[in-house]
Amino acid sequence: MVKFTAEELRRIMDMKHNIRNMSVIAHVDHGKSTLTDSLVAAAGIIAQEAAGDVRMTDTRQDEAERGITIKSTGISLYYEMTDESLKNYKGERNGNEYLINLIDSPGHVDFSSEVTAALRITDGALVVVDCVEGVCVQTETVLRQALGERIRPVLTVNKMDRCFLELQVEGEEAYQTFLRVIENANVIMATYEDPLLGDVQVYPEKGTVAFSAGLHGWAFTLTNFAKMYAAKFGVDEAKMMERLWGENYFDPATKKWTNKNTGSPTCKRGFVQFCYEPIKQIISTCMNDQKDKLWPMLQKLGVTMKSEEKELLGKALMKRVMQNWLPASSALLEMMIFHLPSPSRAQKYRVENLYEGPLDDIYATAIRNCDPEGPLMLYVSKMIPASDKGRFFAFGRVFSGRVATGMKVRIMGPNYVPGQKKDLYVKNVQRTVIWMGKKQESVEDVPCGNTVAMVGLDQYITKNATLTNEKEVDAHPIRAMKFSVSPVVRVAVQCKVASDLPKLVEGLKRLAKSDPMVVCTIEESGEHIIAGAGELHLEICLKDLQEDFMGGAEIVVSDPVVSFRETVLEKSCRTVMSKSPNKHNRLYMEARPMEDGLAEAIDEGRIGPRDDPKSRAKILSEEFGWDKDLAKKIWCFGPETTGPNMVVDMCKGVQYLNEIKDSVVAGFQWASKEGALAEENMRAICFEVCDVVLHADAIHRGGGQIIPTARRVIYASQLTAKPRLLEPVYLVEIQAPEQALGGIYGVLNQKRGHVFEELQRPGTPLYNIKAYLPVVESFGFSSTLRAATSGQAFPQCVFDHWDMMSSDPLEPGTQAAQLVSDIRKRKGLKEQMTPLSEFEDKL
Amino acid sequence: MDFEANYEISRTVDFIRTRNFTKVALQFPDELLKDSTRVAKALRSELGKGVRLYVMADTAYGSCCVDEIGASHVDADCVVHYGHACMSPTSTLPALFVFGKASIDVNACAESLRHCLSTASKHIVVLYGLEYAHALENLKTVMAELLQFSVSNSSVHFAEVACSSINPSGDKMTEKEQLYSHNGVSDIEEVHKYANGNSSLISVDCNKLEPCTKYSLGGLIWNMPVGHKMEDYLLFWIGSENPAFTNVVLTFNNCEIVRYDAEQSNLLKDFAYQRRILKRRYYLVEKAKDANIVGILVGTLGVAGYLRIIQQMKELIERAGKKSYTLVMGRPNSAKLANFPECDVFVYVSCAQTALLDSKEFLAPVITPFEAVLAFSRGSKWTGKYVINFQDLTASTTSEVVNDTEEARFSFIQGGYVEDIQPLENGEHKESSLALAEATEKALNLKNQCTDSVLFKGKARFGAEFFAARSFQGLNMQYENPLPQSYVIGRTGKASAYEDEK
Repeated sequence: MVKFTAEELRRIMDMKHNIRNMSVIAHVDHGKSTLTDSLVAAAGIIAQEAAGDVRMTDTRQDEAERGITIKSTGISLYYEMTDESLKNYKGERNGNEYLINLIDSPGHVDFSSEVTAALRITDGALVVVDCVEGVCVQTETVLRQALGERIRPVLTVNKMDRCFLELQVEGEEAYQTFLRVIENANVIMATYEDPLLGDVQVYPEKGTVAFSAGLHGWAFTLTNFAKMYAAKFGVDEAKMMERLWGENYFDPATKKWTNKNTGSPTCKRGFVQFCYEPIKQIISTCMNDQKDKLWPMLQKLGVTMKSEEKELLGKALMKRVMQNWLPASSALLEMMIFHLPSPSRAQKYRVENLYEGPLDDIYATAIRNCDPEGPLMLYVSKMIPASDKGRFFAFGRVFSGRVATGMKVRIMGPNYVPGQKKDLYVKNVQRTVIWMGKKQESVEDVPCGNTVAMVGLDQYITKNATLTNEKEVDAHPIRAMKFSVSPVVRVAVQCKVASDLPKLVEGLKRLAKSDPMVVCTIEESGEHIIAGAGELHLEICLKDLQEDFMGGAEIVVSDPVVSFRETVLEKSCRTVMSKSPNKHNRLYMEARPMEDGLAEAIDEGRIGPRDDPKSRAKILSEEFGWDKDLAKKIWCFGPETTGPNMVVDMCKGVQYLNEIKDSVVAGFQWASKEGALAEENMRAICFEVCDVVLHADAIHRGGGQIIPTARRVIYASQLTAKPRLLEPVYLVEIQAPEQALGGIYGVLNQKRGHVFEELQRPGTPLYNIKAYLPVVESFGFSSTLRAATSGQAFPQCVFDHWDMMSSDPLEPGTQAAQLVSDIRKRKGLKEQMTPLSEFEDKL
Repeated sequence: MDFEANYEISRTVDFIRTRNFTKVALQFPDELLKDSTRVAKALRSELGKGVRLYVMADTAYGSCCVDEIGASHVDADCVVHYGHACMSPTSTLPALFVFGKASIDVNACAESLRHCLSTASKHIVVLYGLEYAHALENLKTVMAELLQFSVSNSSVHFAEVACSSINPSGDKMTEKEQLYSHNGVSDIEEVHKYANGNSSLISVDCNKLEPCTKYSLGGLIWNMPVGHKMEDYLLFWIGSENPAFTNVVLTFNNCEIVRYDAEQSNLLKDFAYQRRILKRRYYLVEKAKDANIVGILVGTLGVAGYLRIIQQMKELIERAGKKSYTLVMGRPNSAKLANFPECDVFVYVSCAQTALLDSKEFLAPVITPFEAVLAFSRGSKWTGKYVINFQDLTASTTSEVVNDTEEARFSFIQGGYVEDIQPLENGEHKESSLALAEATEKALNLKNQCTDSVLFKGKARFGAEFFAARSFQGLNMQYENPLPQSYVIGRTGKASAYEDEK
């Protein structure tokens, strides 16, 4: 730990070339937090007076209990480089002191939103990959997110200790494993061709890959070994590094380097010969307590041990030796300092991703140059609950200018449109705060390139916002963050005591503020709903709600509720007709399912209401086989005007048709939000207006007559087109050893899941299983799975697609019919569906 | 039952005679209309030629209210109202109420009441539908006999019918005072306290010298010793499941309630439906918070104070930065409401028993004035208290705290914080130097940019904006086909199926 005062820390913050903002990202359980801990233990900045009585890693209690990270936590590290190690550094720098603002992010897929928020305010990412498990689904997700934000990655192959102790693999085999991990990561990164960011792939021989054992606190890059051997071989370090990776072999017998394995028994790959084997040797010597052999070896390596450390035995001895020889902090921190960009470098290319306005205005320029004298541009990425309940710190990153205590700032919310007054406030920053361990220290101001927390703005910032100087009225906001997961799991909450309702409402508001992903809504029946990304996420939210935001007032939580979608299987069996209340107008309609993939295209926004009709027609005719003219006759999308259903005009020569279009669309928006089966949203239904008979007097064909009629005819056409329910389905990825497979299959079968991919990870006894699992069945899935596999399997679930339930909801007794009546009951509707005759009229 | 007794002919005759009314309107609900001629005949034979009687039916609003507008068409002096009544005070005409007399098995009812008393450890307040008021005395005696021998520390309170006739509210007296003065409660009771929104009236009862709280709801009044809360009592309702009962359940949603169904002679305790209504209303309030354009539906032209509450609503809505339109459309139905698709929510000003209007068919929610107050004044919270009578509202919300924090409002409908539209500026430009620049900027704005959100997502701020966004702008000269078209012969026959469609 480095003891610091706020003033000293503040001094380094001015040296924008010597700052690194970086996040640690990885799949769950790959050892992010453990690795971070070892960094913090060595280089974490801690307030001088608080030193000794706070623990940096002491975060939320539930995090410790579950052994997973829930909220991303920021920590500042201080590292002083030696002149010698900096001699190869080409970039700009001011002195040898470095400030590293590190954000440890959660790995569980349910908390991906935290990762998104962390990435926005950092410039580089340390990607941690378990050397045995390899690149997993969440590694991939967060890596993609990082690259999308133009975050430069470096990789560390973690849990090296497992190779040596648990699996005891031979050098060449281990090399192949590492190579595969790195290649897998590079495959993902290679898809991001970005001329400004340059090559983002990682190479051990360039020093952008580290090998670490977070648990034991040691790590190395090839640089460490290259330095060691460069002198011995009389080549420079760069040359040596290249030799230590890839197809370079050394035969100690002949003392020759070759590009191929010569076949001689002593010929070994450079990496194996010079890196892996020595480590292995040291470790095994330590583990076997062969101290007589150990001391000379250590002496050769220049590792000194204190006398009391020499007394240690076995694992403890090994840990201490390795930590002294290859300390994780220096290897990783040097890698970050060398290969991750400083704010001033990163903002040059990130400005395009960040700034919404024109890229040549003063704000863009200031961000690009990371100009401390420029106008303030600050992005608030998350709200952190403060210790006094109900208040929040606004946490974010200064991209240009500086933010100071007492300063008046313009707060531009996510809905702010330049030139308008919507979602805009001008307020004073009461205090600017920096984090020193668990403690917050007030500072006068914070210059660009740093992260900052602000007090006094929480009322005006909902989740995120852009801050600028009061006078800068022309500034555009910084682009809003995109989240990779969506809240699909919902529970209804109510308070046990009716009079606690105001508390609940207040609590929900605060919950919505503290978590970027959670959505708090209300059902038509008046029930409060909390929607989260997954079961675990919800569990944490509910805990926070009850304990932190409601002061412990008791709440009643319903079983998880899953929302369904309503769709149709076939084209309506006939054209249905409905009459307006005055019987003077008639609408004729048919429903048909959309072509495969069209609904997804609408979801993704490839096709939408704002498109140019011509380009839309092109996509529809080329990809989905639509008639070109028809494609131009799409009236609208719905629900919410953008949803994956539409109304198409198929009428020919109907008078006054334009006049009722808005009314029909209004009826459609309404009906598509609440389908005829169970009032769930419709999906992938195309409604065709076949014919319309209208009264000759405009007064008799007004909205009042058409809107309810349009709704009825849409319901009638839905019911005549073999309506079906769609249920949400998770993509589940499970990693487990072979003996757990039986249990996994058993649980999946029981939960209506089906496996579509089963791969053994080459070189490991682990299997990677991908399966589809209905969301309805996913509750309690994790725990059942853990029980069935004695804790060896851990699933990651991400929403994947909507799956049609084959049974007919209109036929009593089927599963779908049961489901419909359950939903209707829950919503407080009549249990019986409204019959078709209520919607359809006859002549 | 005896026709004379049921329609209280003699009492009606007395009422008309003593007050010297000459033109009397008899208002019948639809279900009693069949008896109207007999009633009129009976009254005429009693009253003689001096009094002219008019039969009114098919009231424009709820048939529970006194149709003063209808009565004033014939310039009537008073209205005799038959059947179920909401007992809302009238504004111009005196009215006599004839509730009718529904049959009830008093002994069975008393037995259930006794059963309740023995099982519940609470005091009981007996409330009833007005059609059972005639049996009250009978019930009291039977109960007294039953309780003679039982040892119980719980007691039974009976609510009284406030009055069976209403005089229009004067200018100086509030309706409430009027109401009580008719019931023989002395006007000296000055200590008014409209607490809890339940229009409770703390008064010092001269006879007992014991302070008590007065409650009144739907034409019933009852007393409660001061310090006792309604929550401590068990409500015993005699009657069917009608709006009057729903009102009781909503108003006293914290109380335990049992209902004695007089027709079936059984006791019911499950009111999940009514409780659900309350939650649903809560949702509607939340939904109304998101509204930009509010339609005020005039649902009564008779209930005293309706103009004042409409005015109050208008002011409330304006203060909230929203736009209001006042609409008079008789009894609302889905087709009528859908003629105003620009309104995001409607506030229905009507008597208490027709106030709760909710249907799946409505495009926009319809809320009561009380709910509007909750929805449109920032900082007010839904505490579970519920006021249905708007008269109670006028009194209870006069001292409203305007808690003007600038924090964005949390919308439970959209599941996040939203920015409310600022109150419309009255054309004043603070930065006059920039006014021209701003105007030119707006002039070049692309119109119809997001008509969808204006039309279908309730983003319009006022009616004109909504109309401007509509895709059909009325007839225009540039038709797709500019050539004149030859005439064709139209359809003939009825709209339900034209000749050529048969």
